[in-house]
Amino acid sequence: MTANIGQAGNPRVPTVRERSLMSRLLGGEFQQLPVFLSLVLIWIVFEILNPQFITSRNLSNLVLQMAEYGLLAIGETLILLLGEIDLSIAAVSAVGGAILAELAANNVNPYVAILAGAASGAIIGLFQGFWVTILRVPSFIVTLAGSLGYLGLLFVLIGQEGTVPIMSNTINAIAGNYLPAWLSWLLVAISIALVIWSVWRDKAARRSMGLPVKSSSAMWVRVVASVIVMIVVTVVLNAYQGVPIAGLILIVFVAGFAWMSQSTTFGRHIYALGGNEEAARRAGINVKGVKIAVFTLAGLLAAVGGIVGASRLGAASTAAGGSDLLMDSIAAAVIGGTSLFGGRGSIWNALAGALVIGSIENGMALLDAGTSTKYLVEGAILLLAVTFDTFTRMRRQKLGK
Amino acid sequence: MGKKTWGIRASIASAVLAASSCGVGLAWSTSAQAASSAAPKVKIAFLMPETTSSPRWEYDDRPDFIAEMKKLDPNAQIIYNNAQGSESTQLQQVESAITNGAQLLVVAPVNGYAASTIVTEASRAKVPVISYDRLIMNAKVQYYVSFNNVEVGRLQGEYIAQHTKKGGTVVMLDGAPTDPNAKQFAEGAHQVLDPLFKSGKLKLGYEQYTQNWDSATAQTEMEQALTKLNNKVNGVLAANDNLAGAAIQALTQQHIKGIPVTGQDATDAGLHRIYYDGTQSMTVYKPIKEEAKAAADLAYDILTGKKATGLVNGSTANGAAKIPSVLLTPIMVTKANVASTVIKDGYTTWAHIKNPAQQ
Repeated sequence: MTANIGQAGNPRVPTVRERSLMSRLLGGEFQQLPVFLSLVLIWIVFEILNPQFITSRNLSNLVLQMAEYGLLAIGETLILLLGEIDLSIAAVSAVGGAILAELAANNVNPYVAILAGAASGAIIGLFQGFWVTILRVPSFIVTLAGSLGYLGLLFVLIGQEGTVPIMSNTINAIAGNYLPAWLSWLLVAISIALVIWSVWRDKAARRSMGLPVKSSSAMWVRVVASVIVMIVVTVVLNAYQGVPIAGLILIVFVAGFAWMSQSTTFGRHIYALGGNEEAARRAGINVKGVKIAVFTLAGLLAAVGGIVGASRLGAASTAAGGSDLLMDSIAAAVIGGTSLFGGRGSIWNALAGALVIGSIENGMALLDAGTSTKYLVEGAILLLAVTFDTFTRMRRQKLGK
Repeated sequence: MGKKTWGIRASIASAVLAASSCGVGLAWSTSAQAASSAAPKVKIAFLMPETTSSPRWEYDDRPDFIAEMKKLDPNAQIIYNNAQGSESTQLQQVESAITNGAQLLVVAPVNGYAASTIVTEASRAKVPVISYDRLIMNAKVQYYVSFNNVEVGRLQGEYIAQHTKKGGTVVMLDGAPTDPNAKQFAEGAHQVLDPLFKSGKLKLGYEQYTQNWDSATAQTEMEQALTKLNNKVNGVLAANDNLAGAAIQALTQQHIKGIPVTGQDATDAGLHRIYYDGTQSMTVYKPIKEEAKAAADLAYDILTGKKATGLVNGSTANGAAKIPSVLLTPIMVTKANVASTVIKDGYTTWAHIKNPAQQ
């Protein structure tokens, strides 16, 4: 089978190249492009309105402000890839933060508290996954009911005062401290090596299986672009106080889960399942196992996000699961181009989506804009960003991609 | 055609008649029942707005009001509901309270501007309404019980005015734009500070209303204020302790210390910051017990047909009328008077202030 595809694939390569660059871009050759362009546009507009927007200090703010829903958006993206939805992530994140704060308040070792907080999310996710796959209740209902239940649990955990302050320096350092410059550069060097190695390995693997190899120029563009982004981001953040630990956590999770979803069997099963569950089942994929695992991971990521959020605020509160956290996380995934109907999307794009949402909120707050303006503009930008993505997707479909 | 509609109308009319006669019958039988028992039963609905901005509704107002009411009438029945921040849920709770025979409503509205429908529904059933803590706008409520919110803002404003260095820049975090109280706090603060802003003695660097009193949002706002003002901030007027906590988190990140930061509600976390950390300068303490007691007294007087004029000490215009009001005085708490206020009143304990996480 692989040999056939290889033979059929090779002659087709030149035709792809013949297309103009423009149509390739609009056709979504680079999936990240639409959301990336929206982001550039948003940044330009805010920079014109307030020249403090693109400064290393404000970008450092942005990283800290988006870390929590960035993490939640990774989990939501995985769930959306399955064609399911998780409405409980904000509540789960609040519970994770509350467990962390309560344990820390009772003088439990901070690392144990962090692990327990994260584990609570995984357990909740496992429970929801079980309910969705084994009892076959729609995920919309399970997670909606769940989120109400977890908010109740949150009140039990936090109790009378409504806020549990976190006094542990270790925990507050998660969102309060920065990496020293040398360490950030060491990590950048390691990441560059990893990127090059993975590209090289991917190429070798494809060649050995007789699959068509992506044109090396496109591949190198990708590698060079990601190296440049890493270096620029590190330079910019080091020009202020350094790379925030919360930012590092976010990027490690994004990269890890992006790798998992694209390069492991488990990841490919997620896409297959979201594309066509019945076909996936007939192909021998353990549908139930994959689903339960994904719900567990989403719960885990939500709790990790909650831990970062609690660390940032220096407290866990009964209000933590409320406000715009859930909508921001889902919107980040969808703006990143992840389909609500499963099978299409990527983790990197969730990060880009979170950047869009974060930039809008950051920029509007920097402008000291009134509530009405804020909502009007946020709504308009979200609609435009997704419309742009839909438009490029239609082009892509026309081109048969 | 004409005949047909008439026919329908007639049948509707008869149905309505039947229903209303039924209602009369019911009403008659209940009043007969009431007459036969020893005393008329007092049934009051105590309807609170939410649980996110402050834990007080659930943990202070509710038990305090019930305790005060039971003191006045041990047989009093109190229906308690919390709308969890939803206007429509609150309206539903009002309707079911009336259906369940509540004779009086004590309501802290979710949205003071949208709550006039609550009063309309209640007055249709001839059930009086006391507007509790938050003012119901544009409707004829019986009484309004609250702390003098403008005074709260004034206390915060005065603290900032006295403790911010000359020519210094002030950041104001005003609280939720849908909460009329937040508007009144800001009004009081502006009464004190606006002349200073005008004369140039102080500068207003940044002012935001924070949706839902959400701390995470407030923290983002404070970070952006500091970015915008290049850290040149010499005082923060935060409308309550939660906002103060968020602002202090952002200030600490920038290593800014020793500037006045206000608060409100005398939460344990806020008192801890005042007494032990020194990061927050003051909070405004509102003895909720007094507020709950005033509401209970008024409610009891209305239901037993007494005139409650003794308690009333002012009136508040809400757009529809001047509402007779019981306005209690808020108290400023700094490090110096923690012991003589919140501790003395039994509002909290030293152990709680020392470790606010302990329950």
